[in-house]
Amino acid sequence: MIPVDYAIFLIAAFATISGFYIQGQEYIGSMVNGQLIQSSIIALISFVLAYYEHSLDLVILGVLIAFLRGFLITYFLDKRVPGRMTYVYETNVNVASLLLIDLAFIVVGIFIIYSLVFTRADLITKFGPSSILVFPLSLFFQGLFLIGSRRSTFSQIIGYIEEENSLVLFAIFLVPVPIIIEASVFLDVLALVVISSILVIEKFRHFPMEELRG
Amino acid sequence: MLVYTLIRTLTQYFFVVLMAPLFAGIIANLKAKVESRKGPSIFQPYYDLFKYMRKQVLIPDGSGLIFKYAPFILFGIYSLIALIVPIVIPEPVFFTASADFLGGAILFSLAAFVKIAAAFDSRSNFTALGAVRALSFNFLSEATLITVFFAVSLITDTNNPYITNSFLATHYLQNISLEHIFATIAFFMLFLYETGKLPLESSGLAELGMIEEGMSYEYSGKLLSISKWSGYMKQYILGAIFLNVFFIPWGLQSSFPGFLLDIPVMFLKWLLLIVIVVVIETTFAKMRLFRIQDYLATSFTFSILFLIFSVVIA
Repeated sequence: MIPVDYAIFLIAAFATISGFYIQGQEYIGSMVNGQLIQSSIIALISFVLAYYEHSLDLVILGVLIAFLRGFLITYFLDKRVPGRMTYVYETNVNVASLLLIDLAFIVVGIFIIYSLVFTRADLITKFGPSSILVFPLSLFFQGLFLIGSRRSTFSQIIGYIEEENSLVLFAIFLVPVPIIIEASVFLDVLALVVISSILVIEKFRHFPMEELRG
Repeated sequence: MLVYTLIRTLTQYFFVVLMAPLFAGIIANLKAKVESRKGPSIFQPYYDLFKYMRKQVLIPDGSGLIFKYAPFILFGIYSLIALIVPIVIPEPVFFTASADFLGGAILFSLAAFVKIAAAFDSRSNFTALGAVRALSFNFLSEATLITVFFAVSLITDTNNPYITNSFLATHYLQNISLEHIFATIAFFMLFLYETGKLPLESSGLAELGMIEEGMSYEYSGKLLSISKWSGYMKQYILGAIFLNVFFIPWGLQSSFPGFLLDIPVMFLKWLLLIVIVVVIETTFAKMRLFRIQDYLATSFTFSILFLIFSVVIA
């Protein structure tokens, strides 16, 4: 039988890969689907941990993630992607360089966090020391990079959702599960997605100079 | 003992040299069958090699010495790699000590360099086109190759490929460790690129898809035969490393004369790899040329990110 930490590490690795998948997409529809996959993977992690720990809390958490993040947020975003016959995509997306810069960003970010913060903070996770937190941290930096590297409002919203996903994953790995944080994150994201969906209609793209105008 | 090692060495070497074209033939035949064509015989690569051997050698005007001797150097490099890595027998043979895993990776890089230098030395626009394309992509593929071998060294605390094979065959759980799984995926992606398989490169001389084929465009006769033979050996070596070190490290015997069973075992392993390759080749369309960098960047990401994660987790 596969030990639980091997299984969790592998599933969490796929969450990181889904982040790279989102980063490499040009079409908004594919990015939304990537977000759906990522949320489903996080729900799966919750279910696997619930099975191993016989924890009802984690089952509820998994159901909440699957429904609210997997279904509801995807539904909201999907509704806002313009018409079926027009394909909305970003131009000038150079996947190879984006992946490599993203990779460098993650590695440097994680190195700084681990060397400056985690060596002093005494975080206890379900797998002992804080090593497994490398996965939520990588998701967090991926979300951050997605926001920074794209101009479309949709991509930036998805980047934000990815960051929230990383917080959820972070919360799942910590002991005990801070479900109140999870609930507040849900409401936060849900409200943001509703507001952002209005924002998307008003302003589809962002350009650096526009941000500087009064 | 010395005689046993000599027999093992000769078995491994001649198996690689003589059987490598056969696997290329099986791939071509099976692919044709899947595409509802009769397809060439599985021995077609041998017929081609012998046909080229008998043909006249034509050397382009202005080409230099590197162009003329590169096929022989490539054949020599792949012959040496064939004795360094456990691609048939899981026991060190003669010349195994000449390089470790990283040495093997550097020899692959050397072969790529010689091939590109020879392509430029032919003074032909077509070969230069293939060489320039290869250079645009190789910076990522070579990096992946090196980091994949770093991952292997990290798992087993050694850079000896024979110990790696033995370690992975006996420590089952290491085969599902994070770095091993993603190193395996990265190496497989690299194998498809290095052997010119779809969706990266369409075999044949269609200008838009040429990379490897483009570089050997000016070769003819005996030189073309040796160049192609080296290509078959490279495919076999990379495939066998993928099978024995990454994907299925089990099933090989080192005892005498039990090691003779390694030949059918390797054959069966290769058949499995061929089925996987044919499924991929007949499922995916060819990628646009400038997308190959994206593909290689993905394989590089797989190889290095999870290597770093594994170090952090450990």
